[in-house]
Amino acid sequence: MSKWVLKGLQTGIKTTSYPGREELASGVSPGLPGGKKEPGDEALPVISRCPTHSLRQAEQQILLDYRRCIHCFRCVRGVQGALDWNSGYEWAGSIRTNDDTTPKLGKAFGRSLNILFVDGGACGACLSELEQINKPFYNIHRLGFFITPTPREADILLVAGPVTDHMEFSVQKAFAAMPTPKRVLAVGACALSGGIFGTSFASAGGVPKLIRVDVGVPGCPPPPLAIIHGLLLAVSRKPPASLTFSGSVDGRKNS
Amino acid sequence: MERLLHDTVSLNNLSEEIALRWPEQVRVNPDLQNGLCRMECEASVLTEVCSWLFSKMGYSFASLIVEEEPAEFSLRYIFYGDLENGQVHILYRILKTKATVPSISHFVHAADWHEREAEDLFGLVFEDHPRLGDFVLHEEWPEGVNPMRTDFDASKLYVHREVNPYWRPVRIVQAPGAFMMPIGPIYSDFAESAHFLLETVGEDVIRTIPRFFYKYRGVEKIAEGRTIDEVLLLAERFSGTSAFAHSLAFCQAVEEISRVEVPPRAGALRIFLAELERLRHHIASIAGICGSTALAVATSQASILEEELLRLCCALTGHRYLFGLNTPGGVVMDFSNEALRKLEDTIQGLFKKLEELKKMLSFSSSFLDRLEEVGTVSLESGVSYGLVGPIARASGITRDLRRVLPYSGYEKVEFIIPCEQEGDGYARLRILFSEAKQSANIISQVASSLPPGPILPPPFAVPRGAALGWAEAPKGATFHWVRTAEDGRVVRYRVTPPSFTNWHGFHLAAEDFAFQDFPIIMATFGLSNAESDR
Amino acid sequence: MMETGNFLVLFLSLCGIGVILSALFRDRKNPLILAWVASLAAIVILLASGKVLLSGQPFQVELWTLPFSGKLVLAMDRLSALFVFVTGLVFLPVSIFSAGYMPKYLGRYNLKTFGAFYHVLFGATVLVLVSGDILSFLLAWETASIFCYLLVNFEHDREDTTRAGFLMFAMSEAGTLAAAVALLLLVGASGALELRALRAGPAEVSQTLRWSVFLLSFFGFGVKAGLVPVNSWLPRAHPVAPGNVSAVLSGVIVNLGIYGIMRVNVDLLPVISAGPGLVVLLVGALSALVGVLYANIEHNLKTMLAHHTVEQMGIVTIGLGAGLVFVATGHPVIATIAFIAAVYHMTNHSLYKALLFMSAAWVDTTIGVRDMDRLGGLIKRMPWTAFFFLIGAISLVALPPFNGFVSEWLTLQVLLRSAELSSTGAKIVFALCGAGLALTAALAVTCFVKAFAMSFLGVGRSSEVAQAREAPRSMVAPMAMLAALCLLLGVLPTYVIPVLDEVVTPLTGTKAVDALVPPFFATSPQHQELSPEFAAEFHDLGAQTGQGFFPGRGLVVLHRGGEKNPVVFAMSTSYTLIVLVLLLGGTFVLVRGLTRARKVKRQPAWDGGVRRLLPEMTYTATAFSNPVRVVFDAIFRPSTVEDTKETVAEHFRTAIKNGRKEVHIVDRSVFHPIVEFMQSTSVLLGQMHSGSVNVYTAYVIISLIVVLIVQMLL
Repeated sequence: MSKWVLKGLQTGIKTTSYPGREELASGVSPGLPGGKKEPGDEALPVISRCPTHSLRQAEQQILLDYRRCIHCFRCVRGVQGALDWNSGYEWAGSIRTNDDTTPKLGKAFGRSLNILFVDGGACGACLSELEQINKPFYNIHRLGFFITPTPREADILLVAGPVTDHMEFSVQKAFAAMPTPKRVLAVGACALSGGIFGTSFASAGGVPKLIRVDVGVPGCPPPPLAIIHGLLLAVSRKPPASLTFSGSVDGRKNS
Repeated sequence: MERLLHDTVSLNNLSEEIALRWPEQVRVNPDLQNGLCRMECEASVLTEVCSWLFSKMGYSFASLIVEEEPAEFSLRYIFYGDLENGQVHILYRILKTKATVPSISHFVHAADWHEREAEDLFGLVFEDHPRLGDFVLHEEWPEGVNPMRTDFDASKLYVHREVNPYWRPVRIVQAPGAFMMPIGPIYSDFAESAHFLLETVGEDVIRTIPRFFYKYRGVEKIAEGRTIDEVLLLAERFSGTSAFAHSLAFCQAVEEISRVEVPPRAGALRIFLAELERLRHHIASIAGICGSTALAVATSQASILEEELLRLCCALTGHRYLFGLNTPGGVVMDFSNEALRKLEDTIQGLFKKLEELKKMLSFSSSFLDRLEEVGTVSLESGVSYGLVGPIARASGITRDLRRVLPYSGYEKVEFIIPCEQEGDGYARLRILFSEAKQSANIISQVASSLPPGPILPPPFAVPRGAALGWAEAPKGATFHWVRTAEDGRVVRYRVTPPSFTNWHGFHLAAEDFAFQDFPIIMATFGLSNAESDR
Repeated sequence: MMETGNFLVLFLSLCGIGVILSALFRDRKNPLILAWVASLAAIVILLASGKVLLSGQPFQVELWTLPFSGKLVLAMDRLSALFVFVTGLVFLPVSIFSAGYMPKYLGRYNLKTFGAFYHVLFGATVLVLVSGDILSFLLAWETASIFCYLLVNFEHDREDTTRAGFLMFAMSEAGTLAAAVALLLLVGASGALELRALRAGPAEVSQTLRWSVFLLSFFGFGVKAGLVPVNSWLPRAHPVAPGNVSAVLSGVIVNLGIYGIMRVNVDLLPVISAGPGLVVLLVGALSALVGVLYANIEHNLKTMLAHHTVEQMGIVTIGLGAGLVFVATGHPVIATIAFIAAVYHMTNHSLYKALLFMSAAWVDTTIGVRDMDRLGGLIKRMPWTAFFFLIGAISLVALPPFNGFVSEWLTLQVLLRSAELSSTGAKIVFALCGAGLALTAALAVTCFVKAFAMSFLGVGRSSEVAQAREAPRSMVAPMAMLAALCLLLGVLPTYVIPVLDEVVTPLTGTKAVDALVPPFFATSPQHQELSPEFAAEFHDLGAQTGQGFFPGRGLVVLHRGGEKNPVVFAMSTSYTLIVLVLLLGGTFVLVRGLTRARKVKRQPAWDGGVRRLLPEMTYTATAFSNPVRVVFDAIFRPSTVEDTKETVAEHFRTAIKNGRKEVHIVDRSVFHPIVEFMQSTSVLLGQMHSGSVNVYTAYVIISLIVVLIVQMLL
C-alpha cells in the first residue's frame, strides 16, 4: 500500500487555485461567443446560422442568449463577420430575480454545501464535466462542497439534461424531497433551454419548465470551472454573470 | 484469438449459396464493389435466412432499421462479417394491414432489443417474442401510441397518461421470499438515470432486471425533417463522450449518399482525432473502475491524465470534447503538422504515466481481487448477444470495425486488436489499457505521416438516398442509417450505438453476484445510458 | 380472607360451573360465559396461591382414602403456589381474550365443547400442581394431557391439525409413561405414595436408582416442557391450535414439565452428584440453540413463536441444570440463585409468550395470513396490537428494563459462577453452555427484529393486509395487562426476588436474598446488622444511588466474595427505566422546543425517484434471515426441492425457480434413524413370515425345545 502513498506524494498538488486566483492554463474552457458590436450587413447570415436561435439583433449589436448556446461554433467558423470569442469560464447567472430577493443560499452555506445531482437526460459530456469537479484538478471539497446521493441531506439540486419525459416525475420528486432552504442549479444548455433537443414529446425543454431554477450555468458542456462558479454564486461567494449578452448599460436580465 | 468463420465464404459465393437454398423466397442483389449484398426476403424464410447467416456463416448482427412508408413498413436487417465477407442487408416489407412480423430473436438474440424497440416505437408486433412491451415507453404511456409513426406529433409534450395500479415489473426468480432490490433512477453521486431491479432471496443477487430509456430524448424522431447540418449537431450531442465517433459515422453515411470523396488529409485528421477521443475515453473508464473499487490514489492518477487530455483537446480544437469538428466531406478545422507533432509528444508523455499506473495496478492484489472473476461474460454469450467493443474483446470476440469495415484510411494504419479470454472485470481493464496503447501508437503514426492537401472537398449537394455509416466508437461498433429526401433533409435517422448493444448483455455479467460488486460490474462495463437511450 | 382450602373449593366449583354452563348455553353466548367464569376462576386461584406464596403457610388437605393406594392428598407448598400463580396470571387475560377471539369459529366448530374442555383443562392443570400424592398427580396429569390434546385438535377438519395433535398426544403419553415409571420407582424405594413421605424417603438409594429416576423423570417431563430431543411435537402443535389455546400451551402447559422436573429432582430426590446437573445443563443449552435457530428461519408467525418456546424452556433448564450442579457440589447459595433465575425466567416466559401468542392470534383472525412474507405495514392498522407485540418481543429478547432481561442476566451470572467449581470438566461444560446462551440471546434479537419489522412495519405485501383492523378493547385489554406485568416484573425485580427466594429456599435450604438484594439500603431494617466499613464500600460503589429520591430498592447484585470485594456484578432495571424515561423525555422536550418555530413537513420515504415503490421491492422475512440460514447451513441441511431455469429459445430466461425444504435436526438425527431402524428390523423380522405352515410348525417346536432346555438349566 505504501507505494500508492508515495505515488500520491510524488505527483504533488494539481488543484487549481480558483477562486483564489484566476486559472490561466490553456484548455480549461472552450469560451463563449461574445456578441458583436456593429456587425453591419453580415449580421443576418450569422444570426441565421445559429441552430438554437440564441442570437438576435438589437440596434447596432448582436445579442446573445447564453442559455441557448450549444457550442456548435457556427457563428465563428467559416462565416463572414464572425462573432467575437470570449475565453473565460465565469458564466453562471441568476435566474430568479423577479419575486425573490435572495436567489442564493445564505452565507451559512458558504463553506458547507451538500449537492444532489439528478440526471435529467444529459448526454455524457455534462456528466463528465460534473465528475471532474470532484477530481484532483478542481476538488470542490476544499471549498466545502460535498456530493450526497440523497435529497434529504441536500441543499442544492444540480440538474443536467433537458429533462426527458420519463425523468420528469423523478426530478420533481427529488426536489420535493429536499428540505428547505433549497436551491436549484441548472447545468448546461440542455437544462436551461432544452439545447439542441428543445421541447418535444420526449423532452421538456429545460428545467425551468418544471421546477423553479435559481442559478444557471450555460455551455455545452460548461467546463468544471464554470460549474464551480455556479456553486460559488449560489452561496454568494462570487458575483453572477449575465446569462444573456446585452452589452448595453442597462444589463437587463431575462428570466 | 480471431473468431474463425465456419466456411470460407466470400460475398460472391454467398449470393450463390442463398440463391441455391431459397430460390423463390429470397431475391439477391449483390453490390460487390461496395462490399455489400442486398436481398429481399419473404416472411416464411426470414428467420431461417437470418439464423443461417448468424450461426452458420458467422455474420454479426448490426442493426434493425424500421422505416414507415405510406402503405407498408420496411424492415432492414444489417449483418456484417470480416473484410472479405462484407455486409448483408436483408429487406423485409410488411403491409400495414398485416398483424405480425416474424421474430428472429430466438436465433439471433442480438436482435431482441431492436425488436422490442420497434414494437414500442412503431407498434409492430413480433410473433413469438416473449417479452414485448415496457421497453422504451414506460408503463404509464397508453397502448397504441407509437412516437415513431408519421402521424405522431413529436413537437409537443404528450400529456395523456394511463396509470395502471396493478402494473408490476417482470419477475424471473420464483422462490419463496424472493424480492427485488430497486436501484435508481436516482442513486449514486453522479450516476446516469437508469433503474435496476436486483432479484435476490437475501444473499446473492440472482438476476438483474434493468429498465432503461429514462433518458430517451427521441433523437431519431426529432431528426426527421431537419437539415443535415442540424442532424449532425444531434449526432454529436446525444452522447457527448463519444461525440467525434458518432459524428464521424453520421458524416460517412452522408458522404456515402452523396458519393463524395473525403480528402486524404481530412481522413488522416479524422483518425487522429478519433483516436484522441478513444484515448481520453478509455482513461476516463479506467478512472471509473479505480473509483468503483475506492482505490483513491489510482482514481486520482487516472483523473489527472483525463483532465490533461481534455485540456489538450480544448487547446488544439477549441472544445474539450471535440464538438464541431466533423462535417460531411471532411473536417472543419485544419491543424499545422508541428502542432500535431507537439501534441503527439505530449501524448506520449501522458501515455508513459498511464503505463506506470497500469504496472502499479497489476501489483495491487486487493484491487485485483475485486475485479478478477467478477462480472464474467462468456464467449458464447457474447457472440449470441452480439456484444461489441472492449467488453467483447475481453471475452474473446475480436471483431473491430476499423479492421473488418475499414473507414477513413484505417486500412493504412498498423495496429493490433487486443484480445483477452477471461471475460471478467480484470480482462476488461486490461483491454482498456491495451487499446489506449494502440491509440497512442496510431496517433504517433498519423502525426508523423500526415498527407498534405485540403480538408474539405468542393461543395456538394446531398441528393435523395439512403446509406449506412459506421465507426468504431470508444465503446464499440456504432451504425448510423440516414435516409434523405430530395431537398437534402433527413427523412429517417436510425442510430445503433454500442451501449445499446452492450447494455443488452449487461445482465449476463450481473447474475449470481454479491450485491457489493454491482458498482464494480457497472464500472468495468463502462456503458453510457445517454448513448443507449438516445 | 378465606382459607386457601376454601379458595380451592371455590375454584374447582367454578370450573365445574363453567363446564355446565358451556354445555347449556348456545354457541353464540359461549365465549362470553367462558370469559366470565374462567376469569373469575383465575382470580380465585390467584388469590389462593398468592396467599400461600406471600404468607408462607403451606396448605394441605387429605381427601379420600382409596384402598391399596393410600390417601389422596392435595398440598400446596410455595413451589406449587408459584406455579399456580403463574397459571392464574396466564389464564386470566387469555380467558378475557377468548371472549373476542372464539366467535371466529362460530358455525364451523362446536364452541360448547371448547368451553367445557377449557374449564376442565384449567381445573386439571391446577390439580396437577396441587396434588400431594402420586396417584392424584398422575390422574390430574393424564386429564390435563387428554384435554390439552382435545383443545389443540379443535380444528379437527384440517389434516395438519389432526396430525400435529396426534403426534403431541403420542409423545405426551410416552413422556407420561416415563415419568410415571420414575415416580413408581421412587414409590417402590420409599414405600409410600404421598409426596411428603417420598421426600423423607429412604436413606439408602442406589446409584442406579438415582440415575434411572433422574433420566426417566427428566426426559419424561421434558416432553411436556419441550426439551430437545423430545420436542418434535411442540413446533407442530402450537401453531395449529386456536390462538388462545396456544397461549395456554406455551404459558402454562410447558410449565407443568418444569414443575415435574423440579419436583422430582430438586425436591423429592435431590441429586447428589454433578452428573445429572450437567446433563440437564447440556440439554437446556441445546434446546435453546436449536429452538432459536429454527425460529430464525421460520417465517410463519406462530411456528416461530413455538420455536421460541423451546428456546426459552431451554434457558429455564439451563438455570435448573446449573442449580443442580451447584447443589451437588456444595454451593447452596449459588444453587438457590440459579433456581431463582430458572423460576423467574419461567414466570417471565409465561407472561410474554402468552402476550405474543395473543397478538399473533389477532393478526391471524383479521387477516387470515400468518406468513410474515405476506404481512407488512400492520402498525398503521392495528397500532395497539403492534405496540404490545413489541413489548412482548422486547421482553423476550431480554432487553432492559423488561422482565426477560432480569432472568437472563441472572442465568448468565450463575453460569459465570462456574469459577467456583472444582472439576475442570464441569467448568468446560459451563463455559460452553454460557457461550451457547449468549449466542441464543443474539439470535433471538435477530429473529424478533425480523418478526416485528416484517409483520408490522414497512408496506403490506399482500392484498389481505387491507382487511386488518384494530382489535376490540376486550382483546387489547388482556394484552395490555400482560405487557404491564412484563414491565413491572422487569422494573421491580428487587421485590420479586425475595418472594422467589422464599419459594426456593425450602428446596436448597439456604437463603440467597442477601446475595441478590443486599440489605444495605438505608430504608432496610437489616442495615444495622452490617459492619459500617462493609456498607461504606458498597456506598462508595454507588449502591445508594438514587436512594434519596427513589425510596425503593433499585439494585440487584450478585454478591459473592468476602468483605474485601463485596460486589461482583450489579444491575438495576428500575434505574434504567428512570434514566430511559429522562433521556427520551428530555430529548423529546428539547426537540419540541427547538423546532417549535419551524414547520414540519411530512414526506414519503425517499426511494430513489421510482414512480411507485412496490411491495415486491421491499425486504422479505426470508431474505432477512438468509444469513442465519447460510451460516448455520450444517445444522439446517436444506434439501433442494426445485432448482430449475426455464428459458424460451435458449436465451430468453423466463423463470428461475428455487425451492428448499428443511427437516428439523431433531427429526433428522433422532427420530428418523429410530423409525428407519424399526422399519428395517420389522422387515428383517417379517422375513420370518414365510407363509409356509411347515416353517411355523418348526418355530413352535424350536421354541418349545428352548423353553424346556432353559427350564432344565434353572
